[in-house]
Amino acid sequence: MAEVSVRKLIKRFGQFEVVHGIDFDVTDGEFMVLVGPSGCGKSTTLRMIAGLETVSDGEISINGELVNDVPPRDRDIAMVFQDYALYPHMSVKQNLGFGLKMRDMPRAKIEEAVQRTADILQIRELLDRKPKQLSGGQRQRVAIGRAIAREPQLFLFDEPLSNLDAKLRVEMRTQIKRLHIAFNATSIYVTHDQTEAMTLADRIVVLRGGVIEQVGTPDQLYNHPVNRFVAGFIGSPTMNFIDAELAESAGEASIVFNDGQTLPLTAAQRQSYASHKGQKVLFGVRPEHLTNVFTAENRGGAGLVPIEIPVEIVEPLGADTLVFSKLGGSEIVSRVAGSADLRPGTRIPVHVDMSRTHLFDPETGVRLTAT
Amino acid sequence: MTEGVATANAALRTRRRPRWRISEHPYIWVAPLTLLLLATYVYPAVEVVRFSFTNATLLNPEYEYTLRSYQALQRNTSLGGLLWITFLFVFASVVFQLLLGLLIALALNRGVNRNLPGVSVVRIVILSSWIVPGVAAGIVWQLIFSEASYGFLNSLLRDVGLPPVKWLSRPDIAIWSAVIANIWRGTAFSMILLYAGLVIIPKSLYEAAAVDGASAWRQFWYVTLPQLRPILLINTILISIFTLNTFDLILALTGGGPGRATEVLSLYAYNLVFRNFDLANGSVIAVVLLAISVVFTFFYIRLLPKENET
Repeated sequence: MAEVSVRKLIKRFGQFEVVHGIDFDVTDGEFMVLVGPSGCGKSTTLRMIAGLETVSDGEISINGELVNDVPPRDRDIAMVFQDYALYPHMSVKQNLGFGLKMRDMPRAKIEEAVQRTADILQIRELLDRKPKQLSGGQRQRVAIGRAIAREPQLFLFDEPLSNLDAKLRVEMRTQIKRLHIAFNATSIYVTHDQTEAMTLADRIVVLRGGVIEQVGTPDQLYNHPVNRFVAGFIGSPTMNFIDAELAESAGEASIVFNDGQTLPLTAAQRQSYASHKGQKVLFGVRPEHLTNVFTAENRGGAGLVPIEIPVEIVEPLGADTLVFSKLGGSEIVSRVAGSADLRPGTRIPVHVDMSRTHLFDPETGVRLTAT
Repeated sequence: MTEGVATANAALRTRRRPRWRISEHPYIWVAPLTLLLLATYVYPAVEVVRFSFTNATLLNPEYEYTLRSYQALQRNTSLGGLLWITFLFVFASVVFQLLLGLLIALALNRGVNRNLPGVSVVRIVILSSWIVPGVAAGIVWQLIFSEASYGFLNSLLRDVGLPPVKWLSRPDIAIWSAVIANIWRGTAFSMILLYAGLVIIPKSLYEAAAVDGASAWRQFWYVTLPQLRPILLINTILISIFTLNTFDLILALTGGGPGRATEVLSLYAYNLVFRNFDLANGSVIAVVLLAISVVFTFFYIRLLPKENET
């Protein structure tokens, strides 16, 4: 069990600074995911926590102890690598037991831990094989097993699922989640895949260009993104953004798109956005809030505004259908009922759940809130 | 116009293709290299074996076939000593070339990983010792070991107040002088092979080992050495064969002396043929060398990774 604290962490490679002084805390037993596009510094940050990269400036503490200069082997951590990094010349059994052997555990203890781990991950029948005789999914299991066999205080995952095919990735994702629920060990997990981040995390750190955009629970990031980047990064398909103006229309504060179409604001929104009246804004609405489906959540809600959109491209997913369309002069995607028989060129009635929409400052990208 | 060219090209292709397609006429393609190898490798080897069954000398163009040279080999009382000298020379050279080659390769690899300047200069300097011809290396080392007033090592010893060493004139020291010169010359080869082996070991293995709690020494023992194992074995066999066949360096350094203290098998064969003009007996020794090399080669082939293994 461990708490991790990262303070003003900076990483430079020569003259080139890739992590620009970030702060976050991981509480005991928490599953923290670092997510962001490639080159955002998430892996570098994880490798600094592991001790595989030196810290250029700032502090990393584990359980209150500064570990900047502690070598990896003395940090009591385990790490799962993207390419698995299994020792090719060792059997699965030796791979699982290696960390214990390096800590000079007695042979019987190692054997016991290896068997227990193999049972948990259901890889008992693979124990005598070499890594090259395993499939990708089996290698990944062994890599995770190598980490849990030692029962470290902190687990680090560096994009562990990105080399697996889609089906296996979902399977392993569930497996990792199950393991976390069972052991409740503090974990830091790096991925570029926002779905992985949302499904696994207790909390998420969204990174871009070496700075933190937002730290929060999946729910906070999804429902209350602090800026346009986080709003667009979390959620799939991504949020629709439409240029608009916060204007008066028929005596009420409304969203007015460039083509003149208007959407009335809810009472709550009128209040919060009062100080921004007349301002140019970026209107953000997720595809699932631009739909013809009524849910328990939105049924009878005050913010439902019926509109009609032209159907341009239809992508049926089975359970629901993505409709590529235009609204207020911008390209948009909406998520409608799967059974709808849609033909390009026709128009389809949908409703906008205004209570779930956001307004962003078109210059800074910051989400507008009550001021 | 382009159309005309295209047709001409097409015509050329259809005319040529059937005759030269490698899948249909492989022998035409293989023939030049086969002939070259036959002429330069197989023919001399066959000739050596043939001459070993004769009484040929370089002084008389006529000879007849006989087994006398092989019978002489059985009665040769100096053979035991020659084999012992050869074994010492090969064994010591191989062990130290491997050790030094590995040390330098590790240092170079570390240097490259840390972006240290001058790594390529070091590599070139070390490699240059390998491309020096054996005879030239022998002469250079003769100057270094020389017991005359200009001898490099002895003048160093004199400067620090130590007595001179009879590097080349004492039989029990001369063999080690020859070994040292040969180690100097052959280490670069091992270094290059092992360096190539080190470079391809994935970095993440070391990172995983570091996180797993392995110290630098244990990382070397549990990751580097096992990963290098196939290359170490092949390297050992290759340099064993090279060293077994080395005579140019010893010829220039000691000429096999003092007495016969540094006369290895290959030098003995050379002396028999070109000093005693005894082609037949020299060929017999060459056949013995060939047999030993074949045994090494057999192991080498066994150790090479098979094509269906990855």
